[in-house]
Amino acid sequence: MAVTDREAGVRGPDRLVGRLLGGRDGRSRAARVAVPVLAVLGALVVGGVLMALEGVAPLSAYGEVVSGVLGRTRGLADTAVVATPLILLALGITVAYRARVFTIGAEGQYVTGALAGTALATVGPLSGLPGPLLVIVALLAAVLAGAALAALTGWLQDRFGASVVITSLLLNYVAAAALAWAVRVGIRDPGSFTPQSRAVGAAGLPTLPGTGLHLGFLFALIAVPVLAVVLRRTRFGLRVEVLGANPDVLAVNEARPAAVRLAVLIVAGSLAGFAGFVEVAGVTDRLTPAFATGYGFTAIIVALLGRLRPLGVLVAALLLAGLSVGFDEAERAFIIPSSTVGVIQALIVVFFVAGEALSRRKGR
Amino acid sequence: MTAAVLSGIERRFGEGPPALDGVDLEVVPGEVHALLGENGAGKTTLMRILAGLDRPDAGSVAVAGEEITTFTPRALREHGVAMVQQHFTLVPTLTAGENLALARPEGALRPSARQVQRRVEELVERFRLPVRPDVPVAELSVGEQQRLEILRALDADARLLILDEPTAVLVDDEADALLDVCRGLAADDRAVVIITHRLREVFAGADRVTVLRRGAVVCAGEPVADHDRASLANLMVGANATNGTARPARHVEGSRLRVEGAALRRLRPLDLQVGAGEVLGIAGVDGNGQAELEELLAGVTAPDRGTVTVDGVPVPVGAPRERIARHIAYVPSDRYRYALAGPLSLADNLELGRGPSRRPTRARRWELAQPVLAEWDVRGAGPELAAGRLSGGNAQKLVLARELAGTPKLVVAAHPTRGLDPEAARMVTRRILDAAAGGAAVVWFGAELDELFDIADRLVVLAGGHAAGPFEPPYDRAAIGIAMAGGGGS
Repeated sequence: MAVTDREAGVRGPDRLVGRLLGGRDGRSRAARVAVPVLAVLGALVVGGVLMALEGVAPLSAYGEVVSGVLGRTRGLADTAVVATPLILLALGITVAYRARVFTIGAEGQYVTGALAGTALATVGPLSGLPGPLLVIVALLAAVLAGAALAALTGWLQDRFGASVVITSLLLNYVAAAALAWAVRVGIRDPGSFTPQSRAVGAAGLPTLPGTGLHLGFLFALIAVPVLAVVLRRTRFGLRVEVLGANPDVLAVNEARPAAVRLAVLIVAGSLAGFAGFVEVAGVTDRLTPAFATGYGFTAIIVALLGRLRPLGVLVAALLLAGLSVGFDEAERAFIIPSSTVGVIQALIVVFFVAGEALSRRKGR
Repeated sequence: MTAAVLSGIERRFGEGPPALDGVDLEVVPGEVHALLGENGAGKTTLMRILAGLDRPDAGSVAVAGEEITTFTPRALREHGVAMVQQHFTLVPTLTAGENLALARPEGALRPSARQVQRRVEELVERFRLPVRPDVPVAELSVGEQQRLEILRALDADARLLILDEPTAVLVDDEADALLDVCRGLAADDRAVVIITHRLREVFAGADRVTVLRRGAVVCAGEPVADHDRASLANLMVGANATNGTARPARHVEGSRLRVEGAALRRLRPLDLQVGAGEVLGIAGVDGNGQAELEELLAGVTAPDRGTVTVDGVPVPVGAPRERIARHIAYVPSDRYRYALAGPLSLADNLELGRGPSRRPTRARRWELAQPVLAEWDVRGAGPELAAGRLSGGNAQKLVLARELAGTPKLVVAAHPTRGLDPEAARMVTRRILDAAAGGAAVVWFGAELDELFDIADRLVVLAGGHAAGPFEPPYDRAAIGIAMAGGGGS
């Protein structure tokens, strides 16, 4: 029967996701938590060796990392702020990857969302709206823009059989180019010498009293249980699981796989677009050419480390955000490049993937 | 001198009856040998062993007088055995010549386009098997692809060529041409074995025929000239006491299911009517239109033309939830591919296609699934188990528990007892017949005639996309056998 579309997937992530989702595999809960924890520890050890080779004392460097997060008044708040887009982006990726729709377009959708929200809030007829209303409208525009870009990848697969993996990756570059153009020409602040947009001003997100956190973190925190409920307690959640397990079964018994795939992509794109404008309105205040910092890719690591579960995503996002904030601080105190955090992140992924494979093998 | 001698071959897969139970076969050079049998008779298994694609549990194989000890495709190829499988093994993006060069490289470098083209042209010339040498295989017709498969085998100088259901994918003219080719190869002192279930080919092209039934030889290499259609059909399906008269007649009303001129791919326009309470059996060898009819009835694919209606309303296509809301139950032939999501729990699988958009808590869902699993006797498992871990019988019971819930109007059951142990098969059969007693029109696709004779009120045979029948009890086994083997007459 001609309903199969498994071929559209790719093998690599497919197998890892299969391992992550294969819930009751005989492994204890402890084993399932142990792998990511050990992966992080292993990455820190190897990262420490690398630092030692560079002539930096790893323990004092790590001490600086920890105190950068825990030892400062703003350390934890900074971590939460960095974690905010990661959480939102990784939740979207979680939905997509559970359905085995391997989009890597979160980065582009994030940028597009930021662009649409900023454009709406800084130029055009709606920019004069009062603050709270402007935030809502701008966020809506960001969600629609992110969703539209993600839906485009779904449509391309449905209509032309183009792999979501490829189209979503390539659209990231389109979005990057659009950002570059917009801040230089399209929505440029005419009063500024450097290329950047106007400040979003009234559309900025308020700070949560007494925390130094913007409202976006609260949104991200709320999104975690909401998504958990959507996945576990709605028909859409069941369809996501069935699409991931076997698209043919979905087609014969429940719904058209192409429709569910599109819905999944729209959810992921909406969250990414939302995250984009939250970042502008809560942190950067305006768009600059340097806005895209790769959160959309880091979020893939977050989603996988979080074992494609909303709560896991929250923990993983806070962990990676903490590492990033800590290393930034350590860079200021020591002579270690903050790019070390990229090495550590990469090592975490390597150890995690290897650990997953090994623990499965032993489990049998 | 013999081309191949197989003696006492035994092969068993898992539990259940052996696929091959002490089979002897002798093939001599210069003959076209037909290997005839129903689905699952063991024809392909036997030939896979001869081609080194499988190994026997017991028995011996000798090719050209040499005893075979290593059963690998390469070893058997070196002995001059080549098999053209039913599903071609060509690289679709490469040309004919490149496919040949891939199978038998000359030197370490990739040959030039001109070299490979010349190689194809030489072979085409020598064996008179026309194949276009310069286009990707994907653009060749099915007949050409098959000829290329044969050329590839001959390129390796195969002395014994095995063709598995070679005409299944060909139109009649092409099939005749292929049989001519086989005759030509035999005249060249090669041996050709044709696996088939069609009598037409046996009479059109073979010198001798061996008939397998349920893994045993029932006719060992007898000259085709000694047989007629009826005798071979009888050997193929076996003579048995069952003819459908032992079963009490059912109460049948009206015509719930109407198939009017519906055609899809290889399925020719078909008319069927099945009443409420009636069980219609669809017999025939796989690949003769069953899969297409199954898709049509279950609303997986729209007919190329014609209509399929239940109680006067067309079967919804590509809208499974609507199909289920309309009480159309579907038990697919491949339950692990189309009916059950292996990694999901039994409870989740029961919920497929039905249930509200807001789902109860997981604990509650398990609680709801529990009595269903108990009622349908899905054993050894709580509702939280992954469906992929169920045995075949329990998996099928799970499918039935979902599909037969409520009062189905139409039950499309494709090979519902395939691969099940006798006890599970009995229960599955009984539950489907219960649905018929409850007023459902049942269409039962079956491979075993005995089983169909036991359950069906009428039988339709699909062969080559055409429907023969309906046959009614008492069933005429010989006539049905002939219909399955490609029709009477000609």
